[in-house]
Amino acid sequence: MAVTDQQCKKNISGVLIAVLGLEQVIANLSKPEIRTDAISWHRFSGGLNLVLLVLLFLSGSVMAFYYSPIPGTAYDSVDFALFSLPFGETIKGIHHYSWNILLVVMGLHLVRAFVVGAYKPPRQLVWISGVILLVIVPMFIVTGDLLPWDQKGYWSTRVRLSIIQSIPFIGDLAVRFLQGGPLTGIVALTRFYALHTLFLPGLLLLLMGIHFHFIRYRGLSEPLFGEEKSVRRISFLPGILNRWLILFIIVSVALGFISHYWTVPLGDPADPTDSSYIPKPEWWVLFLNQLVAIFKGSLSVMGTVIIPGGLFGLLAALPFLDRSAERDPARRIVVMIIAAVILFGMTGLSLMGYIEHFVSTGKQ
Amino acid sequence: MKKHFGRTCILVVLSILGVTFLIVPVKIAAAKQTLTAASVKTAPAGLDDRVWSTAKAIEVPFEGKEQFAGKKANVTTKAVYSGDSVFFLFQWADPTLSVTKEAWKYDGLKWSHMPGNEDRISLLFEINRIKNFATKGCAVACHVPPGAPNAKDGKFGTASEAEKGDLWHWKAARSDPAGFADDTWLTKTDMKKTGRKSDNGKGGDKSNVTDDKTKPKYMLAPGKKLAKNNILLSSHAVEISDYSVFKAGDIITYRMPNIPEGSSADIKAISRWQKGQWTVLLHRKLDTGNDDDVAFNPRKNYNFAMALFDDSGDENSYDSETITLEFSR
Repeated sequence: MAVTDQQCKKNISGVLIAVLGLEQVIANLSKPEIRTDAISWHRFSGGLNLVLLVLLFLSGSVMAFYYSPIPGTAYDSVDFALFSLPFGETIKGIHHYSWNILLVVMGLHLVRAFVVGAYKPPRQLVWISGVILLVIVPMFIVTGDLLPWDQKGYWSTRVRLSIIQSIPFIGDLAVRFLQGGPLTGIVALTRFYALHTLFLPGLLLLLMGIHFHFIRYRGLSEPLFGEEKSVRRISFLPGILNRWLILFIIVSVALGFISHYWTVPLGDPADPTDSSYIPKPEWWVLFLNQLVAIFKGSLSVMGTVIIPGGLFGLLAALPFLDRSAERDPARRIVVMIIAAVILFGMTGLSLMGYIEHFVSTGKQ
Repeated sequence: MKKHFGRTCILVVLSILGVTFLIVPVKIAAAKQTLTAASVKTAPAGLDDRVWSTAKAIEVPFEGKEQFAGKKANVTTKAVYSGDSVFFLFQWADPTLSVTKEAWKYDGLKWSHMPGNEDRISLLFEINRIKNFATKGCAVACHVPPGAPNAKDGKFGTASEAEKGDLWHWKAARSDPAGFADDTWLTKTDMKKTGRKSDNGKGGDKSNVTDDKTKPKYMLAPGKKLAKNNILLSSHAVEISDYSVFKAGDIITYRMPNIPEGSSADIKAISRWQKGQWTVLLHRKLDTGNDDDVAFNPRKNYNFAMALFDDSGDENSYDSETITLEFSR
């Protein structure tokens, strides 16, 4: 249902909209009719992704006020923001837990889109832009890990940079670009900070804009089963926006409580002379870490570039590899089996990594 | 089908989130030893209070330095916190009770110092971050390599004024009889001055010696009693007016513990030496409000390192690696 000028002017928000001259903007946002199940109890991963990204942006903005991107002071500035500021631990916790959950929800979003064949025409570009978004988020984590200048972040970064350096032809150049020199020091920290807070958010916004553009003009995927095809439609404003705001409030409050009761710990300050420290891989990168561990020496490029790059290429090219119009997973046996094998392999590698790093040693 | 799919989605979300939260705390586990201060409702009243059974003990290994080089020691360590205070309990084997600390002994003709030092245990926390203390511990503040700028002729401290340490120093002869541990702090040292400073207020001990350094100046005041292990407290001493009252074999404390006041009186101690084992309890307010003390925030982790002295002084100690102190919630 569209919001009319009269409705706008009936209440305080209406007056505010009039004062700010936003009548036309509101009217435009009210026009799009969106399927009522765009955000519903059984279909919310896309909306939840956006909630988490907004929370990451807001909490990151607050943290940036107190952050000092210099190796000698970065740790202390994070420590101050975390433990000395009112709600500091809550803000840091929301940032920390949001990206963990975001990875899970993005993965589920992708799995759902795959299972229901949402990459099929005419939504190929919705899928491709989504896959690229899925790759951008880990870049935030990689660049953000170094910022507290603690042992885990510092040595994890050193390991990642050494993996990048092993990539043929471009490895050295990429590491020199990221580090700004041979050492992981002040220039590296400045560059990681700039990438984390300027370049990557800009790229993310651009890709999100493209993703939403294609969703807007190609539409959401229809339900798989015929009897439910005729779903009701509601206007984006206020119908969909209100649902999203409710989701935003629920997630914010939940993460606020989690952050308050399970404070995100801050490890020891980075000591570049302490080469005995062995960082453990994050849960989301365990399978990639195992690939690097399996393929060594002249075969290392398999684990660092060919297999991860091949998987990404396979995902991105999926709409062009599986061109049939059939969306029912029960009738897409070959595609589903290939996906299950890949998922099984990733899970197996992750479990191997978990056992190797978290169970067999028992300590960091 | 649609409903089943939705429920499945929610179950998958919940299960993956559960796995995530299981994994997240694990990955921050540290290689260093972690001492977890258990949250207890009632503060421990003494060394044998049942509340100590709720705290998980860690066995902290120590390595000997100087005269103890090549030797090892072990201290069983526990911690609890209750209300506004934190409590540490240390137990270690020590076949000899050492509390002499150069006490005076009279042989019938003259006074002389008895051989022997005292047993001690010390803890160093960070008030402000000390560079690389978290990974290298006392090696960057106390027992630094020769030529290091922050340790000249036994005068140790930190490398800059911004780096501050909180040194708790329990001494069997010089602080324990008063019921306290010495509360000092570390700051920048230089060629002339040590970086080790006493906390504000009165503390430490008073030398019991005449101006010509040949005999004790003080004795137990009438109506007063000697403290634990027959140590004379400075507050219980009176100047000796007639040395003829002493007979051969009489012993008088040389380093008389002061009853601390102000910020120096923050760390209270209870101890017992029994059957070749020391048991020492140190307790302090989590946040004393003093700039010369570390302020403990139970949400945060802290690094500390310990040293053990067996009838010894100066660099003759057993040292621990850095330990993480965390507070259970």
